[in-house]
Amino acid sequence: MSEALETLSVAWNVISKAFRPALDSRNNDGYLPSYEDLKASVELLHQHGIAHIVEEWFFETLQQDLREIIVPRFWSHFDFQTAGADGDPDTSFGSKYFRVLLNAVKELHSSFQLYIPCVSQLQCLHEDLQAEEDTLPSEAQTFLQCSYLSLASRVHLVLKALLLAKIPQQFSNNLINFYSRAFKAFQIKQPLEKYEEEDLDDQLECPACENDNENCCCVEVLNTFQEVNQHLKELNLLEAVAGDAVTTVAYRHIQDYVQKTCKGNYENSYMPQLERWLDGALLMWMQSVYSESNAEYVVLICNIKEQMNHFLYETYTTVRMEELFSIIIEFPESQAALEDLKVCLEKTNLRQNLITSLKNSLERRLLHPGVNTADILTAYISAIKALRILDPTGVILQLVCEPVRKYLRLREDTVRCIVSSLTDDGCGELASELMKGAPLLLDDNYQADEEDVNWESWQPDPSDADPTKTTQSHRSHDIISMLVSIYGSKDLFVKEYCVLLADRLLSTFCYDTVKEIRYLELLKLRFGESQLHQCEVMLKDVADSKRINTHVNSEKMIADFRVGEFPLNAMILSAQFWPTLREEHLQLPEIVEKALESYKKAFEALKGNRTLCWKGHLGLVNLDLQLKDRTLNFSVSPIHATIIWHFQEKARWSLEALSAVTRVPTSALRRKIAYWQTLGILREEATDVFVLEEEEPQRQSLDGSVLPDEEEENGSVMASSQDQREEELQVFWSFIVGMLTNLGSLPIERIHSMLRMFAMQGSGTTGCSIHELRQFLDRKVREQKLVYSGGYYRLPRA
Amino acid sequence: MKVVIKSWTSVASWRWIANDDNCGICRMPFDGCCTDCKMPGDDCPLVWGQCSHCFHIHCIMKWLNSQQVHQLCPMCRQEWKFKE
Repeated sequence: MSEALETLSVAWNVISKAFRPALDSRNNDGYLPSYEDLKASVELLHQHGIAHIVEEWFFETLQQDLREIIVPRFWSHFDFQTAGADGDPDTSFGSKYFRVLLNAVKELHSSFQLYIPCVSQLQCLHEDLQAEEDTLPSEAQTFLQCSYLSLASRVHLVLKALLLAKIPQQFSNNLINFYSRAFKAFQIKQPLEKYEEEDLDDQLECPACENDNENCCCVEVLNTFQEVNQHLKELNLLEAVAGDAVTTVAYRHIQDYVQKTCKGNYENSYMPQLERWLDGALLMWMQSVYSESNAEYVVLICNIKEQMNHFLYETYTTVRMEELFSIIIEFPESQAALEDLKVCLEKTNLRQNLITSLKNSLERRLLHPGVNTADILTAYISAIKALRILDPTGVILQLVCEPVRKYLRLREDTVRCIVSSLTDDGCGELASELMKGAPLLLDDNYQADEEDVNWESWQPDPSDADPTKTTQSHRSHDIISMLVSIYGSKDLFVKEYCVLLADRLLSTFCYDTVKEIRYLELLKLRFGESQLHQCEVMLKDVADSKRINTHVNSEKMIADFRVGEFPLNAMILSAQFWPTLREEHLQLPEIVEKALESYKKAFEALKGNRTLCWKGHLGLVNLDLQLKDRTLNFSVSPIHATIIWHFQEKARWSLEALSAVTRVPTSALRRKIAYWQTLGILREEATDVFVLEEEEPQRQSLDGSVLPDEEEENGSVMASSQDQREEELQVFWSFIVGMLTNLGSLPIERIHSMLRMFAMQGSGTTGCSIHELRQFLDRKVREQKLVYSGGYYRLPRA
Repeated sequence: MKVVIKSWTSVASWRWIANDDNCGICRMPFDGCCTDCKMPGDDCPLVWGQCSHCFHIHCIMKWLNSQQVHQLCPMCRQEWKFKE
């Protein structure tokens, strides 16, 4: 029995010697048992059925050694930091740190290396044991079956766990610092390709380590870097210790590079360049970190590559997202950027962020009172075109531009802006769009087109599309349709176009309508024939007027009707089809009145049973002023002509007298006289007395005193919409008078409710708000047709 | 000073010289056109009957064609005769 114990104890001695390598001087007598001895000893243990405890014991001692000696020793290398790491790590600190890191890793590596032979021996024994598994006691069998990991990986696992359990705070920052420096050095020394545009050869300083070229420590840094990586890899710690730092450094450099390359420049496509850089510079570096060549490594690099690519796309998208407003404004120059962005957007999950951010920047930069409606429209059109590239389904556009459309709906001059740019003479955006001549697609007249030809290439809508809105085919990309649909109906646009057309015809008095007819045809394609019928009549009126003019001014007619002291032309309108014209009083010169009368007679003779109603205040007069020292030619409105005509008879007129002759109110007359004043032909001699300047006045005398505002009042010949509205309210006036006659005085609420009860029920009359009614009544008060006191309106005493 | 008018362009609107504003048949303004027409004026003229009532020519012709026995003015029920 005691003999057996003794042999066992000898065998155990051999085993413990073999499996506990000598760290420091601990039981270091240089004796290492041979594998045969070892095997014999284990064999002996095995005979006693306790061989399996060898493994257990080995791990126990390994852990103990690691915990007590190796790991604390490794971290103690970095203790100097607690003293010196307050300031930011300068170059000397950096290189010192490199050495420390290298030494620490080296030491860790060498001390751990001692265990490697033990592990391989143990592995052999383990396999031998496994071969004889059947002879083992059941306890040992279960033990063997449990250890499915290979011994080597278990050892590494223990090391990793114990090492990382003690990691100091500063360590990861310093590691990032280390890898980032290594990356810079790598880029400089990288012989393959240069991605930086600046020529490095010319610089005295190495851009990576900021030392003189001669003292450049990049090579040294790179060597350290390689060595550290190599050791860590052999310890199987590379991913665990450095993985984070490497990725962080890579991310930082991607961010920097993307910012540096693309920010603020939208005209070139950067994606290929960025991808090339990523492949060439960054991934090369990462490969050099993980350099190894087995299957596992290939998978790892693939993963990293994918991850980095994804991050590149994300970074690019983020950078562009902030600039998207400017990109839209600069469209089509920025097309390249948009195409890049589209690619990136498909690969990342930032669509929602992009929509939100663009929406915000649109609202912030566009939708406030400081921006002209025309500018908003231009931006909107740009957005339509640009976002069409980014997202062909139009969902982003729909989501982003909703606030813009809502805002445009609130602006009064939106319709006018759109219509006038539609028929802009210049090569305006919309005018050229109109030329395409596609019919309008609006929500109300859309019929589902089920027979889609390309049903095989059908794609579902993006997930953020509004399901209550139309489907993809309907989300039209036609710019004009989009603009018209701001209001949801064509009527407003047609009405506005009529006014615009009338305005143009009656201000130029050009009988050549070829261009207008062309526009009208184009518009008809879009808005439909019936809507624009009115405009067709207007243009026909112009053509008819031209014919009638030639006829009336023909020799025979001149003989018959004596229309002929000067050529008189007319624009004869079919009043039903024109917008309401501005009504004004103007007594024309007698000679003109006579001519008009003759023209009217000629017209009546020409067209039986029809007559003319002149609107003398409208028109265009071409006249020569023969002054003492010069002759001037003008094209002016009839009222200007009338004013100057009267100065033929006498050279000095008071405002009152002139107002009596022309039957124009003095305030309006003064404004019109201002035109001649600015030309230096009339002069205000005293208050309200104007005198003709026969000779060209000295320039100096003109300044200062005269020169009233040149501002012509609203140039339109059409009645303003407000005037028209008041005309409509006029219907209620007789009701109001009746009410006030019977009931004395009433507050506005009563008047309004009674009107609603009695007058607004008819289908023809439009309703009116209490606000409008107040305006209307206040005007009547000003005209002294009503009296307002203490909140009550009443009729003035007759 | 002398003002020489070289040309004067003025604006006028035309209207039918009739004793009413609207056509008694189609209820459209005389100065507009009947419901079938697009262009007013020459393309859609008025005619007067001897009873002095007047209509768009297209309206009264349609009316007269629909009357089998007597052709009466739709306003005054007198026999319709065109005014020469």
